[in-house]
Amino acid sequence: MDPLEALVAQIQGLSSTSGDINRLHSVLKQADESLRSESTRLSPILSQLDPSIHSLGFLYILEASMPAPVTRTQAETVVPIVTRFIGACSTEQIRLAPEKFLSVCRKLKDQVMLLEAPIRGVAPLFTALRKLQVSAEHLTPLHSDFLLLCLLAKCYKTGLSLLEDDVFEVDQPRDLFLYCYYGGMICIGQKQFQKALDLLHNVVTAPMSTISAIAVEAYKKYILVSLVRHGQFATSLPKYSSSAAQRNLKNFCQPYVDLANSYGTGKIGELEAYVQANAEKFESDNNLGLVKQVVSSMYKRNIQRLTQTYLTLSLQDIANTVQLNSPKEAEMHVLQMIQDGEIHATINQKDGMVRFLEDPEQYKTCEMIEHIDSSIQRIMALSRKLTAMDEQISCDQLYLSKAGRERQRYDFDDFDVPQKFNI
Amino acid sequence: MDGDDETSGPMIDEIYANGGGDDGEKRSRRAIMSGDQLDIEAYAALYSGRTKIMRLLFIADKMSNAGTQLEALRMAYDEIKKGENTQLFREVVQKIDGRLGPNYAMDAAWCDAVDRRAEQKKEKLENELNAYRTNLIKESIRMGYNDFGDFYYAHGQLGEAFKNYVRTRDYCTTSKHIIHMCMNAILVSIEMGQFPHVTSYVSKAEQAPEALDAVIVAKLRCAAGLANLEAKKYKLAARKFLETGPELGHHYNEVIAQQDVATYGGLCALATFDRAELKAIIDNSNFRNFLELVPEVRELINDFYSSHYASCLEYLGNLKANLLLDIHLHDHVETLYDQIRHKALIQYTHPFVSVDLNMMANAFKTTVAGLEKELEALITDNQIQARIDSHNKILYARHADQRNATFQRVLETGMQFDRDARSMLLRSNLIKHDFNLRALRKL
Amino acid sequence: MDFSAVRAALDSKSYDKIADLCDNLMLQVAAEGIAFQDDWPYAIHLLSHIYIHDINSARFLWKSIPSSIKESQPEVTAAWRIGQNLWLRDYAGVHEAIRGFDWSQDLQGLVASFSELYTKEMFQLLLSAYSTISIRDTALFLGMNEDDATNYVLRQGWTVDPASQMLIVKKHAVVTEQKLDHSKLQRLTEYVFHLEH
Repeated sequence: MDPLEALVAQIQGLSSTSGDINRLHSVLKQADESLRSESTRLSPILSQLDPSIHSLGFLYILEASMPAPVTRTQAETVVPIVTRFIGACSTEQIRLAPEKFLSVCRKLKDQVMLLEAPIRGVAPLFTALRKLQVSAEHLTPLHSDFLLLCLLAKCYKTGLSLLEDDVFEVDQPRDLFLYCYYGGMICIGQKQFQKALDLLHNVVTAPMSTISAIAVEAYKKYILVSLVRHGQFATSLPKYSSSAAQRNLKNFCQPYVDLANSYGTGKIGELEAYVQANAEKFESDNNLGLVKQVVSSMYKRNIQRLTQTYLTLSLQDIANTVQLNSPKEAEMHVLQMIQDGEIHATINQKDGMVRFLEDPEQYKTCEMIEHIDSSIQRIMALSRKLTAMDEQISCDQLYLSKAGRERQRYDFDDFDVPQKFNI
Repeated sequence: MDGDDETSGPMIDEIYANGGGDDGEKRSRRAIMSGDQLDIEAYAALYSGRTKIMRLLFIADKMSNAGTQLEALRMAYDEIKKGENTQLFREVVQKIDGRLGPNYAMDAAWCDAVDRRAEQKKEKLENELNAYRTNLIKESIRMGYNDFGDFYYAHGQLGEAFKNYVRTRDYCTTSKHIIHMCMNAILVSIEMGQFPHVTSYVSKAEQAPEALDAVIVAKLRCAAGLANLEAKKYKLAARKFLETGPELGHHYNEVIAQQDVATYGGLCALATFDRAELKAIIDNSNFRNFLELVPEVRELINDFYSSHYASCLEYLGNLKANLLLDIHLHDHVETLYDQIRHKALIQYTHPFVSVDLNMMANAFKTTVAGLEKELEALITDNQIQARIDSHNKILYARHADQRNATFQRVLETGMQFDRDARSMLLRSNLIKHDFNLRALRKL
Repeated sequence: MDFSAVRAALDSKSYDKIADLCDNLMLQVAAEGIAFQDDWPYAIHLLSHIYIHDINSARFLWKSIPSSIKESQPEVTAAWRIGQNLWLRDYAGVHEAIRGFDWSQDLQGLVASFSELYTKEMFQLLLSAYSTISIRDTALFLGMNEDDATNYVLRQGWTVDPASQMLIVKKHAVVTEQKLDHSKLQRLTEYVFHLEH
């Protein structure tokens, strides 16, 4: 009997109980080498298997049958098979061979990109990462691939839905870096700047011994988003950042640091001149759009500053102070900011005046109480998690031996709850 | 204008009067003011020694008016010729550049004679000192170094003078000697502009075990005041000048005149003291004696305290040109003036629920638009808690709602904690798995 | 491609559900390898994002539409013009974009519903942002002629200032629920417990 046919028979026979499947797994591991050598003969065999029942066997054969470089025509045949498999496969079975599953998914990603149809991979990769995930807190290597496809297919909203999960469990730093970087880009596209900032912050403050290209690109965007979101940028990174980042990151991003300095002066003319002079650099980094949002955020920032100082101010004075061309332009800026809830004010067209108001929020509504309540719940859960992790680490044999040897490198600061938040 | 009843009742009328235009009292006061050009002769008469010359040269440098400039140079020339500093003599001759006729030209013969005598004296001093040193007579060695210090100081070699004065330290046997050494070191340091030295020798002198002579104490306060002024520690400077005792008299004319104590101390105090502290100055009979010598400063402090800001600012405006000619104060005039003006603006608004900007602008001799900009800066800086009703030109005090502010802060802190905790968990997970890049590279 | 769910939502006027339906359906058919672009109801999809104020999604969708379709289907371009004006905050331009196209049968209900919604929102915006406003601007924001706009706001209690011929906005007192039930007290106890342990 042909060894391949024998293998198919074994797959068909050993796919029901978990004991059988474990036996099958060792058979498949042994057969892996020979499968690869016969990769061209494998495709027809797949039709003899049911991806939902014979998932593990299907996975091994599928993986071996997918050649590394493919033509568009090959991809057109392979992509539907992989897509169907991802949808149908049994979660328990594929988790036995996560590497194989990852490899299949990665190839799917490469092939839909080759076909210039990234949208074809979005739904399958989402299904795949959910099947691979042990819990929603677990960051799989597929997260970043999924987000990349979302970006390319312009399915930002879909990408954002994944970013709602809080991930904590990370296998490889690279997975996290890419996840946070692409995630940051998606949030920027959807104008969720605070979330973008949080994600990019994770990249620039992550432990690293050398500066990676991802960290540099993330830092550039981090500077710009800080300015858009908060109107300021602190040039020094927090003390828990790696010393490599603290020392070197700025040097790779000088035009951006200079931009932030120029922003700090509050002078729109200077900022615009600086952007103009350096437009090419920002363009080549693909950040020009975000830089332009930085510039327009300065008008808002300057108007917001006026609300702290004035009770009433004429539209003409606003236009003069924030350097807008006309009172009408100032009115439109103020109106937009009211619409977006960025300021509280009423415009008096008759007198050409704006009256700035205090935030009407009285923190008395049921809605607000609910909001505060849920924040408290969330923070309590987080602090429990912190405590649990702290205990777990304090008991970890590996950690203890390491901490004993190199106390300085593993500073307790990295794990302790900051003093001011001692809940 | 709505007064905040409890705190401001008595002040309202005064501000009204002040803002509402000139009254008789103010016109009569104007007579005392000396915003006129500096009377150089009278000014120079307040000082002696090197500082007299340096102050005259400083004025000559700053003066644009050629007549006054030459007047200052002429007096400097005369003064230098009384001494032995040929270096300085050559400089002043160069500055005069023949503009004062043959009497104020280069006198090479004088220079040569002085320099020759100096050579001889130096040789003599060296011989003497060497003899003392071989005999190991402490007191004589001390005197020897001290003479050297005096010699170098007279000839304008300040660095050498300082070194020699300081060298006497090892041969001091009484605390009087120590104080003598300190006073010399302080004097030279002030002339060199080395104010950190001044500070350290002042504290050394103050540590002397015996009670110090009142004149010495007064001198030390002045020196400390100058050092703090130069270091831009205006509040400390004000305290030191205020502590200066009347014993100072004319005893420290080689450094500072009593008038300077009043001016430096008064302006620094005005810029940095709160109302209670200012009241203490006015009630300080000791300092009042100094203030009597500079009535403008006395008046402007009184004006400030009684909220006559227009008059106070007018005095300041008139004094400014002369203060800019002061060798120690000139660099600090702008800063002190800004601080005084800010304080006046803040103090003016403080007691009110609302302030009419027209009246306030009047009181501060400015336009409403200009005043708005000044207030804007102070509000942004959180120095005034108020907001401007630019439509009706009224400033309203702003009382922050504690409850709302607390809620807001709580929510912000919560979000911050949320973010920090999550990123901390991530970081620690990265470290925990020992999968950071450094570890990977080792594999 | 099975558009029955979208159709059903359109028929039942559940316009706010359509965006998600379309998004998911698109990902699904794309995953199945179907060349959906030529038959995709882009105009409905765009408008469904606009309807729920997700201008970002509308913008990204517009960017992903093949140019051949943009050229051959004027209704798609017309739908985006609404989104574009929202994006640019050209308040009056939104009304013009709505009126400026003869919408197909399928879309008429959705567009009309959005138009009504948008007018209401503009009224709310004027209410919160202005104390006085010219009749001309009010008409532009509400997408009406001046007489209709004046009548519309007068019915809401606004008045006309005879001297300046400006509209004086009448603010409504906002009523909010402030009652708390006992479970909140229970929660509070738990928090204190948490703090102390």
